Amino acid sequence: MAAWDLSVTMEDLGADAPPITVSVTSDLHIGGVILKLVEKSQVKRDWSDHALWWEQKQQWLLRTAWTLEKCGIQADAGLIFMAQHKSLRLGLPNGLTLRLRACFSGPVFRTVLGICKMLNIRRPEELSLLRPVEEKKKKKDKDLSEEQYDLTEVPLISVSRPCLYNGMPAHFADSLKTEKVYKMLSVSQPAPAPEAIAKLYRPASVVDKAHIHSRWLDSSRSLMQQGVQENDRLWLRFKYYCFHDLEPKYDVVRLTQMYEQARWAILLEDIDCTEEEMLLFGAIQYHINKLSLSEPQTMTSSPAMDDLDSALQGLEVKLDGAESSPQDMLENLTAPELNDYLKIFRPKRLTLKGYKQYWFKFKDASISYYKSKEESLGEPIQQINLKGCEAAPDVNVAGQKFCIKLLIPAPEGMNEVYLRCEHEEQYSRWMAACRLASKGKSLADRLFQSEVQSIHSFLAMQQTNPNTHTDDSMSINTHSLVSPRYSKKYKVKQLTPRILEAYQNVAQLSLTDALLRFLQIWQALPDFGISFVVVRFKGSRKDEVLGIAPNRLIRIDLGVGDVVKTWRYNNMRQWNVNWDIRQVAIEFDGNVNMAFSCVTADCKIVHEFIGGYIFMSTRSREQSDTLNEELFHKLTGGHEAL
Amino acid sequence: MDDIDAMFSDLLGEMDLLTQSLGVETLPPEPPSSSSREMNFSMGFADMNVESLNELEENDLDALMADLMADLNDTEEKLAAELGGKKEAEAPHPDLPPASHGLSFYPVPSLSTPTSPERGPNTFSAPLADSPAPIHSPPTLPQHAKPSKEEIEAQMKADKIKLALEKLKEAKVKKLVVKVVMHDGSSKTLMVDERQTVRDVLDNLFEKTHCDCNVDWSLSETNPELQLERGFEDHENLVDPLSAWTRDSENKVIFQERPDKYEVFKNPQNFYLWKKDKKTIKDMKDRDKELLVEENFCGTSIIVPDLEGVLYLREDGKKSWKQRLFLLRASGIYYVPKGKSKTSRDLVCFVQFDNVNVYYGKEFKNKYKAPTDFCFVLKHPQIQKESQYIKYLCCDDAWTMNLWVTGIRIAKYGKSLYENYKTSMKKAAVTTAWTNRTAATAATTSIPSTPSPTTKAKASGQANGHAPQPPAEPVAKVGNAPPPPPPLLPTQILPPPPPDPVLPPPPPPLATKRSPPATSVSRQLPSLPTLPTSFPPSPTSMANLPPPPPSLSQDDSSESPPDFLPPPPPTLGFGPGAGSLPPPPPVSLPPPPPPDPGFPLPPPPPDPAFCPVTNRGSLPAPPPRQSYIGAGAPPPPPPPPPASAGLQSTPSVRRTGPPPPKRTTPPLAAPGGGDFMSELAKAMAKKRGNQ
Repeated sequence: MAAWDLSVTMEDLGADAPPITVSVTSDLHIGGVILKLVEKSQVKRDWSDHALWWEQKQQWLLRTAWTLEKCGIQADAGLIFMAQHKSLRLGLPNGLTLRLRACFSGPVFRTVLGICKMLNIRRPEELSLLRPVEEKKKKKDKDLSEEQYDLTEVPLISVSRPCLYNGMPAHFADSLKTEKVYKMLSVSQPAPAPEAIAKLYRPASVVDKAHIHSRWLDSSRSLMQQGVQENDRLWLRFKYYCFHDLEPKYDVVRLTQMYEQARWAILLEDIDCTEEEMLLFGAIQYHINKLSLSEPQTMTSSPAMDDLDSALQGLEVKLDGAESSPQDMLENLTAPELNDYLKIFRPKRLTLKGYKQYWFKFKDASISYYKSKEESLGEPIQQINLKGCEAAPDVNVAGQKFCIKLLIPAPEGMNEVYLRCEHEEQYSRWMAACRLASKGKSLADRLFQSEVQSIHSFLAMQQTNPNTHTDDSMSINTHSLVSPRYSKKYKVKQLTPRILEAYQNVAQLSLTDALLRFLQIWQALPDFGISFVVVRFKGSRKDEVLGIAPNRLIRIDLGVGDVVKTWRYNNMRQWNVNWDIRQVAIEFDGNVNMAFSCVTADCKIVHEFIGGYIFMSTRSREQSDTLNEELFHKLTGGHEAL
Repeated sequence: MDDIDAMFSDLLGEMDLLTQSLGVETLPPEPPSSSSREMNFSMGFADMNVESLNELEENDLDALMADLMADLNDTEEKLAAELGGKKEAEAPHPDLPPASHGLSFYPVPSLSTPTSPERGPNTFSAPLADSPAPIHSPPTLPQHAKPSKEEIEAQMKADKIKLALEKLKEAKVKKLVVKVVMHDGSSKTLMVDERQTVRDVLDNLFEKTHCDCNVDWSLSETNPELQLERGFEDHENLVDPLSAWTRDSENKVIFQERPDKYEVFKNPQNFYLWKKDKKTIKDMKDRDKELLVEENFCGTSIIVPDLEGVLYLREDGKKSWKQRLFLLRASGIYYVPKGKSKTSRDLVCFVQFDNVNVYYGKEFKNKYKAPTDFCFVLKHPQIQKESQYIKYLCCDDAWTMNLWVTGIRIAKYGKSLYENYKTSMKKAAVTTAWTNRTAATAATTSIPSTPSPTTKAKASGQANGHAPQPPAEPVAKVGNAPPPPPPLLPTQILPPPPPDPVLPPPPPPLATKRSPPATSVSRQLPSLPTLPTSFPPSPTSMANLPPPPPSLSQDDSSESPPDFLPPPPPTLGFGPGAGSLPPPPPVSLPPPPPPDPGFPLPPPPPDPAFCPVTNRGSLPAPPPRQSYIGAGAPPPPPPPPPASAGLQSTPSVRRTGPPPPKRTTPPLAAPGGGDFMSELAKAMAKKRGNQ
């Protein structure tokens, strides 16, 4: 067979280096070409990650056993010999950028698997990559921070080691630098500055949101094939909103990043919520921030060690408890009390009486008051049981007003009572006591001190004037906890007490529980998990929105935003894509048919969403942990998959 | 303190006398055991305090007694577990709790003392707090010392302390006597403690009635004044909502089937796909329903049905009803303000669910001039009267109302609702399976062989002293025969005497009466006419066919007697507690029933009773025998109970009278703590008279 010359560019020799020409015959297989190429280049190194990329055809020549003829390669083919893994700047759900090496040759689905393995995120099928929204601002300063996190030096082979080291996957434990990366991944980020939130892109309408979903990469093709270059920036996001098998013990990074994605979705108004919900989200964020700052250690210890530790601790407590119980009992006999002069005001119709001062005693979840301290041994004027009450702050730090508004349930209704404290200190204690009492806890409860503390720090937040910036990490501008809409609507001093109020309900949560709670509330929002695409239904003349949710498709009127119709996947018989006219046709039980063409996104994206959700629903707890990749491609691949 | 000491020694003296009279010398009461007895007394006393006995119907009394016994037994058992040293700590104080506030809550006196560390002090009702505490602490410490001397091992000590604390905790538990109105208008009285969930109480009722235990059975409260009704959720504590009732409350607790209780799990499409056309909803396949439930209740987060619609809202203080567009979200009910859109950001929060419960309104058309009678109400559970803080909503039809009420329950209770449902399903399934089986066995084995199993199964035991156990499947219980017996004993004991000899007459009534004590078994065999039959074939018996032998063997072991005995002391205890002297035994002692059965000899029992500590496991055995005997079974088992049983038996005998559940007095009548003994005596006299 006749030999001919094939010229191949070797990327590693530099962009300017001339292509290397090797003499080949048409029946030489790709492996042979590579061998000749490497020999000729005379560079000694590990070439195992390299492969041939056919520039004109935009495809990889990965089957080394195929002959040139079978591949259809002739002398004019412009081949490039390059590494399959290249560095990529990955925008994480937490907003930070991490540089790592990703596979550019396999389908994106496989690439994501690799990335997730490196980042220690389980259930990688729920994530995918998308092109970021263009950033218009110059980002000089940002580039600096981006470079902080770099995993490109982690050898790819080591990623497969499943063992844990110091509580983190072994490949993170190699250096201080990588340890820092792991910490960034597994601990939620501090609240962003309100200005930073305001500057970020926020989708203003459903159409805007739909445009974001046009950016998803095609899971069945490689990065190279989709025009992604080395060092390009891509976002890694949870794409399918059905989170399977969330296990805090193993899912530290996954959980944290999920929380970050949820948090940003809320802060950037990507998902709508009511004011009450926003305040609760704010409160949980505050709580998570606080805990993340105060207990970063727990994240770095291994689960096994944790178990042991907690077991030991439990043991100690047990012994302790056993030994000291009589003392405890005695202590409990003398349950702590609060005693103070406070002013009380009970608004009643037609009375304008102001606050009157009495001697107050707080004990066992109830408040009693007396004319004076001296009479406190006798019968109280009144005793108020606070169990089940609502305690709301009525505070104006600048005006030195520290009132507690109590709504106390009684058979006849709710009694409104105001307690006025003299100063912050007193207020914090009494407020904390009222809060605990409303939940049926007493001052003896361990939570009392922390409650006092958090009320304190909230008061401090109200106090901070913009000029003096305290380094107290606990004080956060509450505007950074809510979306810009609410930042505009409320001043910090209006917002803070309301967030504090919501905070009461979550203050006892552990870090993990707080993260989970946040996610739960997020998932309970009516619009949760809906990805929008602008489509045109067959037979309709106007654009409409198709919402793709984990369990259903929703047809939404673009003008009004009303849900017109929903179809559930359960009833779906089949769906087809006509790749020529780019139309998706779906048949449901009962001979219901619908078809639409996609306006904002490629129909492959819609196809992949539907197939992906159906794939997700095939997962079940009983099945082994192995991912059925083939099925995924079958469901999402379209004609290219074959 | 002196008083108490005196009382103790009195008590001890009484006990001694009693033992001697029984002729049991074997085990002279050890000091520790005596203390335990005392404790029991005080508890029983407190419990009884709750309601003036005269108020109660006979059957109520019976039921109560059964509960009480179970209660006592419970504690006894626990105590038994302990070593002698500890006991004194818990020694009860006879001091009676002042009349309960509002309701008939009586903290058991002994409880009041030390707050166990685990529990917040607030958990207990306020009144107790002061006086008892000081008293208690002193005794605790000395005891503490004792054990250490006797047993050097620190571990032992620690364990004991723990146990003691637990007991203290136990002792502190609030108890309430609740009158439950049954679906047929009759009523049952039972004791409910603070820790029991509605589920526990339901299980208890299942055993006391012959209902089919399906998932629809529920407890509801009604408020006649506000014309409200609400089904309790299975995971709620029953005592909590009841303690919000006012003293003069007309409210009732009702035991009935409520199809709406778990409708959402049976037909989820009606709630989650309510917007779809009727046909799709109706034709829903079972598999799809399951999927729907799974989708909405098994994910990381519960999905609340997205309801929206125009409802009528009763304006504060005005008589008018105004229409508004309401939306339900997981975080609360919202409405769309005038001129605004339905987008989340524009919604105004109408109510959040943390502090309110949802109630059905009855006949609001009349009462409040509502547009329709399909109204529901949101209010704080403590509000019992007309108030501006109650939110009244009115729907166009019953279906919409059901949709909203259920939606609100899902939003408020979330996953618990589904857990409750699953538990109920299991329960129902097991019971049906079991019933069938039981019926079969019952037919074959006429002799209710092994009573012991029954004991275990007993729910009543749980009801009283025991921590509420998640409703375990009866079958499972059957499997492990020995453990749970103690609670049952009291109940079992009661039934035996009356049955055979004394009162042959009304078989059905007996059955019913017994049924309460009898555990799940009884449920299944409602129809058993004859006394012997009436004994529920103990689960164990079912399991292993040769029932009688086992029971005997158990009897032989000295263990059984102890259990039996314990019950009587409590009764005695009442006397002392009340301030009246120990004599009660003689008074109540109409021992006729026991003898009748033809028990060979009563003597042995006393010992065990005194030292309940020895063995609790075998407790259940004795009662069954009696029943056998009565039936004409072989007399071999030494009937230890007779003497002690005498006391208990008396009540039971009286009970035999047909149970006329006439009165539906408010469940929680809380007469002050009258002299318990005299009341008891009166009540008994009354019963006798009836007979």
